[in-house]
Amino acid sequence: MAQDIEESRKLTYPLDPTSYKILKQIGNGVSATVFKAACLPMDSLVVAIKAIDLERLRANLDDVRREAKAMTLLSHPNILKAYCSFTVDQHLWVVMPFMSAGSLHSIISSSFPDGLSEPSIAIVLKETLNALLYLHDQGHLHRDIKAGNILVDSDGSVKLADFGVSASIYEPNSSQCSSFSSSSSLRFNDLAGTPYWMAPEVIHSHVGYSFKADIWSFGITALELAHGRPPLSHLPPWKSLFMRITNRLRLSDFEKIRTGKNKKFSKNFRDMVASCLSTDPYRRPTADKLLKHPFFKNCRSTDFLVKNVLQGLPTVEERYRENLICLRSQSKTDDNDDGDDGQTEAVVKHRRISGWNFNEQVLELEPVFPIDGSGPPTPTKEDNNAKIIQNKAAPSLLVPEFCFRDETRLDVGINENEKVEEVIKEDCGIREKNDLGTEMAEEGRVTSVEEQETGVTNTPVEGVMVDIAPLVPKLRELLESLEFEKHAVSEIIACISGGEHVEMNREEEFQEKISQLNLQLEQERRKSSLLETELESLRCTESHDM
Amino acid sequence: MKGLFKSKPRTPAETVRLTRELLIYADINSNSREAKREEKMSELSKLIRELKSILYGSSEAEPVSEACSQLTQEFFRENTLRLLIICLPKLNLEARKDATQVVANLQRQQVHSKLIASDYLEANKDLMDILVSGYENTDLALHYGAMLRECIRHQCIARYVLESDHMKKFFDYIQLPNFDIASDASATFKELLTRHKSTVAEFLSKNYEWFFAEYNSKLLQSQNYITKRQAVKLLGDMLLDRANSAVMMRYVSSKDNLVILMTLLKDRSKNIQMEAFHVFKLFAANQNKPADVVCILAANKEKLIRFFRDFTVEKGRKTFFFGSFSVKDEQFEADKAQVVKEITVLEDRT
Repeated sequence: MAQDIEESRKLTYPLDPTSYKILKQIGNGVSATVFKAACLPMDSLVVAIKAIDLERLRANLDDVRREAKAMTLLSHPNILKAYCSFTVDQHLWVVMPFMSAGSLHSIISSSFPDGLSEPSIAIVLKETLNALLYLHDQGHLHRDIKAGNILVDSDGSVKLADFGVSASIYEPNSSQCSSFSSSSSLRFNDLAGTPYWMAPEVIHSHVGYSFKADIWSFGITALELAHGRPPLSHLPPWKSLFMRITNRLRLSDFEKIRTGKNKKFSKNFRDMVASCLSTDPYRRPTADKLLKHPFFKNCRSTDFLVKNVLQGLPTVEERYRENLICLRSQSKTDDNDDGDDGQTEAVVKHRRISGWNFNEQVLELEPVFPIDGSGPPTPTKEDNNAKIIQNKAAPSLLVPEFCFRDETRLDVGINENEKVEEVIKEDCGIREKNDLGTEMAEEGRVTSVEEQETGVTNTPVEGVMVDIAPLVPKLRELLESLEFEKHAVSEIIACISGGEHVEMNREEEFQEKISQLNLQLEQERRKSSLLETELESLRCTESHDM
Repeated sequence: MKGLFKSKPRTPAETVRLTRELLIYADINSNSREAKREEKMSELSKLIRELKSILYGSSEAEPVSEACSQLTQEFFRENTLRLLIICLPKLNLEARKDATQVVANLQRQQVHSKLIASDYLEANKDLMDILVSGYENTDLALHYGAMLRECIRHQCIARYVLESDHMKKFFDYIQLPNFDIASDASATFKELLTRHKSTVAEFLSKNYEWFFAEYNSKLLQSQNYITKRQAVKLLGDMLLDRANSAVMMRYVSSKDNLVILMTLLKDRSKNIQMEAFHVFKLFAANQNKPADVVCILAANKEKLIRFFRDFTVEKGRKTFFFGSFSVKDEQFEADKAQVVKEITVLEDRT
């Protein structure tokens, strides 16, 4: 098998742009565009070309080199490899196989908004696990497993793509040794990946992390395939991070599977996902163990995907075009979301657009960060929390969202500020409400919680267009009604779960979290001061030695 | 790896010996009977993987230092490294990758607090010739390249490569059309020119003429975006290194060099402009500017001052590089102010 692939590598793809005819654009991100192209000297074989604008890319060139190297040296049927890569002026062209059905993210958003059926999920996940097993065996971490990075070909074959943030445990970190390596070289202790799929220990990046982080993201991807979107994706990314750090929502994410919509999931599936989402990385299974999980036992062949998922699917090009139109109409109502401004780029950078992954959910729900801006009121509790996030999670990811946004946005932030505490509390509650949202609606007792919730998160964004001040009373009203609904919802939950799920007083719980986080912060500070002293003494001895 | 836990476990030294035997076999019998050969080659691949898991550990077990040191001793007791390098083209992709990782790891293994790999390589410097020429072979370049970068961690080996004729070849390797290979070669080139400060300083002063002539014409004045960008970045790293201050003084005293850097300052790439600035500032800061340098700076005084007025870190970039980078931004502004000050006082003497 590996032999075959090696054989196919012998076909050398031309290294000049004139040998390729660009057919259509099929995806784009801030620093990369993906084209469908024909390789002329090879009988116009259809390929995908990812053109990365090195000038706009924020990663350093060493990272680009690592990615290119990984894509050349990895060789597995479930891993998208690069045929070749070469530079065309300031662009790096990476020539890859054309995966005609596109990414699962794109498939789901175009045709399966409520997620895939379980047999289809099993196939996709099993193929992905094969890739993961190989990667881990090779000492590679993928670090960005998600539906957007899982590609499907017309024959149903599934490949894992995008090694933009991958890392190898064998690759010595040369940039650390060489003098001032100036840029964001992504190492194990750096924050990499996309917030929703990120494992807690990646967010707590000070502990360092390992292969088990990929297993976490794999579990989140399973949820994504099952529900049509990752958990917490209705929240802006930084809030999603925050939620994850406070350890609070993990169980309820899983709960969602159990109680979720009209869909029933097998016990095997629930069990498999739960094992991946274990808070303790050591308790998560290895890729090898996961493959032996009963969920994958009677997994069908990839033909099943062709018949059940791929049939009647719009082409990648069509989907891309649709998405563009969609995005355009969005940007008409909200030009702040225009992909061209700096903060958007910063977020996108971490997503490492794979080209097929053009749905920027992250960008639709832009965070408004309360503590930024002139004259915020006395630090509130979640100010502290927010700072903790800022410290723990690499600033590179979070900060751009907080500062240097345009002023209108800032104003909104300040207006929001008064109520921010509650808003955050609300958000914590949203999870539960959301889980039960559909059920409630069916019962006709609560009117569309989700709608209102989106209202809250989106208001600031819309507020840019409208005069902001009049919104404040409305928002307060909204909050009150949410408070009321929350109460109703928790009662229902209590009813359904027979009292198991009694909600703790939110205020108390919050206090507790905060004191925990403060404690952690204190510990970190102590650690860092210890380290500093140590460093100082080392310096001293060194200078003595010299 | 499972072999380790079988009833009759092989010692690490035995694994190395078996590997060596098979390597010798692979080296000599390239045309023997297919089936038998294939079997031996697959056994060889397994052994190399076993070596790797002894050195790196596995998901179940951390590496054991005693085993590592046994392995390392046996490996370098005889010519295993040479055999492995020579036989690399005969291995399949997976075995090549494993072999590369084994070689990389061995460079760091200490036996009785000595890097015995260094002694071995010092006596077998010609192996570097094989590794460097790997850049000319698409299939081997990334493997040999990675091994080479590990070997030049040893100062004596880096010196050997720096002083060899191979250095000249790097100017072409880093411009190969194949990006994987070109970027691997630039990583090695950079490592050679930054890692061992005293050796680099010595090399640069001894080879100043040809080296910078090549560097200027082939790299800094290249038409290729990535070549230019990496070259100007590396130039900054080299010249700003204290160990290279003599070389730096010599470089910034040349009018021709100044012209090249000023051209790069106007490059349409912001990244190149930025990196060029970090070199250009040295010309301006030089307190003993030769007359022809002063002359050029003075003649372009107005233009330069106007240019620097609008020359800022991109807004997006600034915000993204929060934290340590905001310090950098400040440093940049301070540097810029200094440069402008230096240039302002110059008088056009022509």
